[in-house]
Amino acid sequence: MTFSEEKIVLSSQDIKRILYRLSHQVLEKTPNLEKIVLLGIQTRGAHLACRIQKIIKEIEGSQLPLGVLDITLYRDDLTAIGPSPLVKETKINFDINGKVVVLIDDVLFTGRTIRAALDEIMDFGRPERVELLVLVDRGHRELPIRADFVGKNIPTAENESVEVRLQESDAKDEAVIARAE
Amino acid sequence: MRILIKNATIINSDKKEEADILLVKGKIEKVAKKINEKADKIIEAKGKTVFPGFIDMHVHLRTPGREDEEDISSGSMAAAKGGFTKIFCMPNTNPAIDNESCAKWIAEEGRRVGKTDVYPIGAISKARAGKELTEFVALRRAGCLSLSDDGTAIKDSLLLRRALEYSKMSETLIISHCEDTSLSNKGSMREGAISSKYGISAIPDIAESTIVSRDIQLAQFLRVPIHLAHISTAKSVDIIRRAKKQGVKVTAETAPHYFILSADDVEKNAFDSNFKVNPPLGDEKDIEAIKKALKDGTIDCIATDHAPHSKAEKELPFENAPFGFIGLEFAFSLIYTHLVVKGVLSIEDISKKLSFNPAQILGLKGCGKVEEGFCADLVIVDLDKKWEVRHKEIVSKSKNTPFLGAKLNGVVETTIYNGKIVYNSKNES
Amino acid sequence: MEKWDKKHILEIKEFDREEIETVLSLATSFKEISQRDVKKVPALRGKTILNLFFENSTRTRTSFELAAKRLSADVVNFSASSSSLTKGETIIDTIKTLQAYHPDILIVRINSSASLSTLAKYTQASIINAGDGKNEHPTQALLDMFTVKEAKGTLEGLNVLIVGDVFHSRVARSNIFGFSKFGSKVTVCAPPTLVPYEFEKIGAKISYDLDDAIKKADVIIMLRVQTERQESSFFPSLREYVDKFALTPQRFKNAKKEAIVLHPGPINWDAEISSSLKEEVHPLILKQAENGLAIRMAALYLVGTRKRAL
Repeated sequence: MTFSEEKIVLSSQDIKRILYRLSHQVLEKTPNLEKIVLLGIQTRGAHLACRIQKIIKEIEGSQLPLGVLDITLYRDDLTAIGPSPLVKETKINFDINGKVVVLIDDVLFTGRTIRAALDEIMDFGRPERVELLVLVDRGHRELPIRADFVGKNIPTAENESVEVRLQESDAKDEAVIARAE
Repeated sequence: MRILIKNATIINSDKKEEADILLVKGKIEKVAKKINEKADKIIEAKGKTVFPGFIDMHVHLRTPGREDEEDISSGSMAAAKGGFTKIFCMPNTNPAIDNESCAKWIAEEGRRVGKTDVYPIGAISKARAGKELTEFVALRRAGCLSLSDDGTAIKDSLLLRRALEYSKMSETLIISHCEDTSLSNKGSMREGAISSKYGISAIPDIAESTIVSRDIQLAQFLRVPIHLAHISTAKSVDIIRRAKKQGVKVTAETAPHYFILSADDVEKNAFDSNFKVNPPLGDEKDIEAIKKALKDGTIDCIATDHAPHSKAEKELPFENAPFGFIGLEFAFSLIYTHLVVKGVLSIEDISKKLSFNPAQILGLKGCGKVEEGFCADLVIVDLDKKWEVRHKEIVSKSKNTPFLGAKLNGVVETTIYNGKIVYNSKNES
Repeated sequence: MEKWDKKHILEIKEFDREEIETVLSLATSFKEISQRDVKKVPALRGKTILNLFFENSTRTRTSFELAAKRLSADVVNFSASSSSLTKGETIIDTIKTLQAYHPDILIVRINSSASLSTLAKYTQASIINAGDGKNEHPTQALLDMFTVKEAKGTLEGLNVLIVGDVFHSRVARSNIFGFSKFGSKVTVCAPPTLVPYEFEKIGAKISYDLDDAIKKADVIIMLRVQTERQESSFFPSLREYVDKFALTPQRFKNAKKEAIVLHPGPINWDAEISSSLKEEVHPLILKQAENGLAIRMAALYLVGTRKRAL
């Protein structure tokens, strides 16, 4: 698939503002900081989680536990996509039992990634609650999943794609819509 | 039965001529231009080539013991299809052909089938155990022109000495399987880069040549002829060549696979057990040496070492499978394709290596040539035709050959044995 | 995407460098799973894996079995006696019979060298070689390389010394092919009876003097010595073998300070390695076992999640 013209829907400035807002929303919902742990989904979700951890530290002065999750081994299409996708690191160095897990990803689309992430989280323990935070919700859900904290709802067509680029992996911050030709 | 073959190109070991051939009562009655005599059957052989019937000094018919792999009947049919009118079967059977009655029975069974002469080769030692000599005189009486413990070498040099000495009286040719089994040490392929690379237990080439050397020295010392089976290495060839120059009465055979295949083919075919043979396939140098030895006469003849094995046996992994290939049905075409077409040997040499020389070595009178008064064993071949080795067309009971799928030149069209047509490619009779 | 298009894992000699790197990088991720409380991921859920061992091996079989279970595959152990290789039902019959159960992966150990590519023709399953005769033991070499990479940070430009019964060793063969692909130099060191002289042709240097060879080595792989070899005169006595080829404190002093020691296990202490070196060398050797599990998970994952041919 090739994509034609791209349209920028979030600028670097937008992303920054949104992340601050989302951080506040997380704190608002769970005032007891001791309860919150952050889990970012590889790879851009992990970058966003890292930024949110920093923002919360800036606001509250304390550093929340941060983990990364690679959901590849929990995908429902592992043998259908082939060749075998690369498995990145999963790292959760803390106990999630009884915690409020804030699961972080860049784009919420079909909901299948989140389903896989939820299964993986359950293998690590029994959190009190799991909340989902996404930068962009582009619609087209295939599973009954919704986000608790949404940066921006961007209605899209099926043949469009939303791509989030972040400094850490892509040398700039932006979100774009591209249409498949 | 009178058969008249018209306009044939006759290939003898020393000449090539165009003539008609008249066969009467199992003998070649006349060879001349334009024979106009009555015959029961006239074969028009214009454009075809006629050889004296081929003689295979070295086959395994697995009888008695493994008749499921080959028997006298199926082996005879395979021979007829390959143009062989005399075959000599090795005694590594179960029980071994080590006594008069067993040998006699095999020859009789061959006559009953009536497609080719089947000569038993008697064992040198009882049960081929390498301990005591068999009754050479009785075996000779039963039809054994040659004796061998083929399959294993005679380890005990003194026993071989006794055998060679005693054979002077019994007039039986001693055939030696040259292999130092302590050096070959249960190996499965030739020792070299490939065996090292894949960790395959291996047989060094000197496992053959050290015994070649020992056997030649014994023959020289005792002034007795000796025949060396399935020579496969450049080193053996050198030793034999030197011995022949010194006048030692040594003769040698090789088999088609030793001038066609090498250990590289074993690797290329992913260690398919159909490429496992003993002596093992060597390298390019060996192939060149064998070709040169055939050309200069160091190696006297080509035998097939036809060694049938069941499907189950050859399905075993390479290191576990038994050694050997079948060969009767392809030998002529392999030799023609790989040696004559490629200019290594002349067409007359085929007659020499497959008919004339084996007859000489074994002291067979009146055969090995297309000549008046000789036996009416003939092969009519179409040299221009090509064919492919296919599993379902193999008449031998076993199908173990590395040449499946090989495209070969030269087709045996008709085999005449003892004045009768025993094989015709058109009706497979 | 990392490079991978193999259906089977049979021989390191047929791997290229990128494929080895793919396995090693995956193994890094798989190591973490074994540290979880729930040591299981659903990657191979519903896949059937048969451990088909024609030769005894508790360690390798257990490692593969655990690896399969941690990926949620159903794994069954099938121990056939090697006598079935010589009579009656042939191994091909066994493979065909097992094909009736539609396995996805066969993990095979067999005492016949280079026999697996033929077997592969008779099954639709992927085959992973768990040791075929003297030929190869690919997952052992991969775990050795993985361990070296963890310890040294690289697989390039190293001097790798393999000491012991190289002739009969599938581990040695796989490691020679593996390390050579990264431009590391492999030297094999053993009595001449236990080193095929042809090994120079496949890229290994040969040494009969451990005292000398050890000086340059960055990685020392000690192989198991089998006492049966004494009976067939590969060496006259274990005593003389130990004298010339055991890793002793004295010899180890001559090695580079940062040199590491590996052993495929199980170790005969005081035969291959002096037990007085236990504290220095054993931790890394134990790590090999842990890494072996991760490598085997990676191997199973790679062949198990290949897209099925339609």
